[in-house]
Amino acid sequence: MHEMSLVRSLLRQVEDLLIEHGGESVSAIHVEMGPLSGVDRVLIELAFEQLVVTTFCADARLVIDEIPLSARCRDCQTEFNLEDFRFVCPQCDSQQVQITGGDEFRLLEVEIETADRCRASQEEKPCCEARA
Amino acid sequence: MTTKTITVQRDVKAELRRQAEELRQHLGRQGTLVINVLSSPGAGKTSLLQATAEHWAGRHRMAVLVGDLETDRDAQRLAPHCPVEQLTTGGACHLEIPLVKQGLEKLSTADIDFLFIENVGNLVCPASHDLAEHVRVVLLSVTEGDDKPGKYPKMFRTSQALVISKTDLLPHVPFSVDAAIDDAHQIQPDLTVLPICSLSKDGIAQWCQFLEGQRHELLARTVIGESMVTT
Ligand SMILES: Nc1nc2c(ncn2[C@@H]2O[C@H](COP(=O)(O)OP(=O)(O)OP(=O)(O)O)[C@@H](O)[C@H]2O)c(=O)[nH]1
Ligand SMILES: [Mg+2]
Ligand SMILES: [Zn+2]
Repeated sequence: MHEMSLVRSLLRQVEDLLIEHGGESVSAIHVEMGPLSGVDRVLIELAFEQLVVTTFCADARLVIDEIPLSARCRDCQTEFNLEDFRFVCPQCDSQQVQITGGDEFRLLEVEIETADRCRASQEEKPCCEARA
Repeated sequence: MTTKTITVQRDVKAELRRQAEELRQHLGRQGTLVINVLSSPGAGKTSLLQATAEHWAGRHRMAVLVGDLETDRDAQRLAPHCPVEQLTTGGACHLEIPLVKQGLEKLSTADIDFLFIENVGNLVCPASHDLAEHVRVVLLSVTEGDDKPGKYPKMFRTSQALVISKTDLLPHVPFSVDAAIDDAHQIQPDLTVLPICSLSKDGIAQWCQFLEGQRHELLARTVIGESMVTT
């Protein structure tokens, strides 16, 4: 099981982003996985639960987006989703297909909390717009 | 508090993959073909590397980085044949590029034609880790069953060659070589299939020829050193 090592790396990257962007805490971490990502959802969740408490992101939620395996035919350019692992173009039967999604474990986005800069203002509403 | 969304959109292993690409190019430029050898435990990786070293003795220089959970038994078996460095993962089920780099600090590769990396026996996790190889080879021994390609699609999809090992045992097990090849080709039509027996040396010459061909191609496109690992 290599999920521990992947989640450890994921959390290190999130911690770096938190510092780089001057945030106080991380509220959510969005990741993407598919049938050929080589990771198991349950093992990722378990590893996350175990490791997150040891980081600066202890309050973070892990949001997993499961996507299908998608491909493009190199011969006729048709884009399609694969239901199984038979790499054949449904349009022209070509086996020259390139995977376009669902084969990686990707970090999509991170939601961080930043302290309001304009403390002078007593209003509850933040006066500094969050920049993406 | 204000919530801010940081868009990242990258593979969690992006940095490791960059390091692997850099090392692949470096080794490629010096003429070293890197071969990542993967299989389930006991499929015959070390035996194949021993037979390979014997076949090439005096003709091609090879070296091996061998990954093992705890022991250095495989390194001891290979040491009489070629330079070998042990990578102990301390329990981890797969090798990662930083460990490979550590091993290369102790193993001189400057005049090595073929650098083999014997991965930890496992058909799942190692498939996700680029170790700077130019060629990824998966071994399937005939005692494991001919239905394995479809059960471990990532491993077979990301490999360039399938070695069917222990062919001497074919008369004793219900394994159809054709069925295994067919299953594997549905997942990766470009797989080169090489049946071998490390005991009788059947198929070892063809296996070595395949690697020599791969190295010729590498030398022909030297400076590019592009990744051959496709998914
Ligand atoms: N009959 C037969 N046995 C073989 C052959 N090749 C290897 N073996 C035996 O299979 C067993 C495992 O071989 P190894 O070469 O150690 O396999 P491995 O893949 O390196 O094993 P791990 O590194 O532990 O995963 C040994 O007992 C070998 O003698 C073969 O071609 N035919
Ligand atoms: Mg071995
Ligand atoms: Zn097509």
